[in-house]
Amino acid sequence: MNVNPDPWVWIAAFLTLAIFSFLYKENPFYRVAEYTFVGVSNGYFISLMWHNVAIPVLVNPLRSAAAQAGEEGLSPGLFNPVNDANFLLLIPMFIGLLYLSRFFRRVSWLVRIPIAFYLGYYMGLSIPTILEASVLRQIRGTILTQETFSDWAAGLWAVVVLVGVVCTIIYFFFSREHKGVLGAASKVGIVFVMVGFGASFGYTVMARIALAIGRIIFLLRDWIGLIQ
Amino acid sequence: MKWLEVFLTIDRRIIFAVVGFVLVLPIIFPFGFRTPVTPPTQKLYDAVEAIPARDKALTISVDYAPQTEPELHPMTIALLRHAFSRRKYVLILALYVQGLGLAEDALRTVVGEFNERATSPADSILYGRDYVFLGWQPPPVIPILGMGTSIRGVFPRDYYGNETDTLAMMKEIDSYSDMDLLVSISGGTPPVWYVAYAQSRFGIKVGAGITAVSVADFFPYLETGQFSGMLAGIKGAAEYEELVARNLGLEDRRKAMEGMSSQAAAHIAIMAFVILGNIGYFAKRKRRP
Repeated sequence: MNVNPDPWVWIAAFLTLAIFSFLYKENPFYRVAEYTFVGVSNGYFISLMWHNVAIPVLVNPLRSAAAQAGEEGLSPGLFNPVNDANFLLLIPMFIGLLYLSRFFRRVSWLVRIPIAFYLGYYMGLSIPTILEASVLRQIRGTILTQETFSDWAAGLWAVVVLVGVVCTIIYFFFSREHKGVLGAASKVGIVFVMVGFGASFGYTVMARIALAIGRIIFLLRDWIGLIQ
Repeated sequence: MKWLEVFLTIDRRIIFAVVGFVLVLPIIFPFGFRTPVTPPTQKLYDAVEAIPARDKALTISVDYAPQTEPELHPMTIALLRHAFSRRKYVLILALYVQGLGLAEDALRTVVGEFNERATSPADSILYGRDYVFLGWQPPPVIPILGMGTSIRGVFPRDYYGNETDTLAMMKEIDSYSDMDLLVSISGGTPPVWYVAYAQSRFGIKVGAGITAVSVADFFPYLETGQFSGMLAGIKGAAEYEELVARNLGLEDRRKAMEGMSSQAAAHIAIMAFVILGNIGYFAKRKRRP
């Protein structure tokens, strides 16, 4: 054993064990670790956003624009969005600050303005592209062509995928009672849904175990040096 | 049989203790787990192999945070080993700010491994000549779309503050058309964003390294060919490490492989508990009138 003397490693080990202690029962060590995590994460994220976004994207350009205006006076270049230093940045800054209006009941409705900008921008951007990538291309993937059957295994799986997609969609079709052909297809559909859930569960177990292994390797290797 | 119903009342702490035990033991005494390579991993490996060296770039988007580091970080490291050993140009960026430190750690690790073995500058992996760390630009959609027209436009400076224009490699690479493959390693939806915004518009090939939780959601993109390959969770990472070690002879630390014995043992334990629970459930149901 070769125990690591680094105090930061000891703090990380203590916090890891404190979180694991929840598996036995809720306790003050767990709560300390949990609150520390929430506080540190928020503080870290806010400072990162301030130093990596607010300062380079907003504060510095505005400061440069103000300095330029102080030396040379206001010029059209200071209102040109192509230039790094320009006063037009005050507009998105003002719209962004409207998020804080939520804290003041009388003007809290103003928060709708930045939300509207955000939603409008992303909907305009996403609807055509997501439709193409996640709907149309996926539908195209279920279409059987002569080429699909050039390899018998690929052809068989393509048929299975087609049956699975159609039956699963029928299972979620609630406008008619699931009787007769519709009932039989929806029963096949539920089998595919269950297989999907089973696969998701298996992968989720693998993911969670992987995270536990990461911490155990940290404890055994980086902290107490039991393994190489 | 009433005694079988005891399986329904196993204290969860016993289950945790057993799972903990089967996780720890194989880490201390590994039992030589073998990892057969699955087609999604092989496809990604082949896609990286096919990148024309010293011509087009492999771009790795480090889109994960420390909470998924054990699963995803080995993927980044294995991809970098592969790309550097084949002398491919590598661009690295992050869509989330938390990815910056992890990307830098992966670069430091892999560049360190190569440069320790190097005997001359020609063998070494040099910043600006072999790889560039672009850093991060919020919000994610800006770099994804912007790189379609000009990388230098989106990243006028790299992560270390150098002007991107001044880096030798960047004189040859300035948009998706200069990249052959982009691999997004992520615990969320960024690989789909790259497909939706970058592939649909600019035709870039996209690969994915994802957490096991997302695998079932992302398989359809692999089936349709929208993903050129996919690393699925820690197993995918271990498979890629295996390919890199076997084909390129690199015997550096394999972090994903280290955990695979524990993975196998834990899965057996969990399956055993699921079976026991079901036995208890059916025994109870049978006894009921």
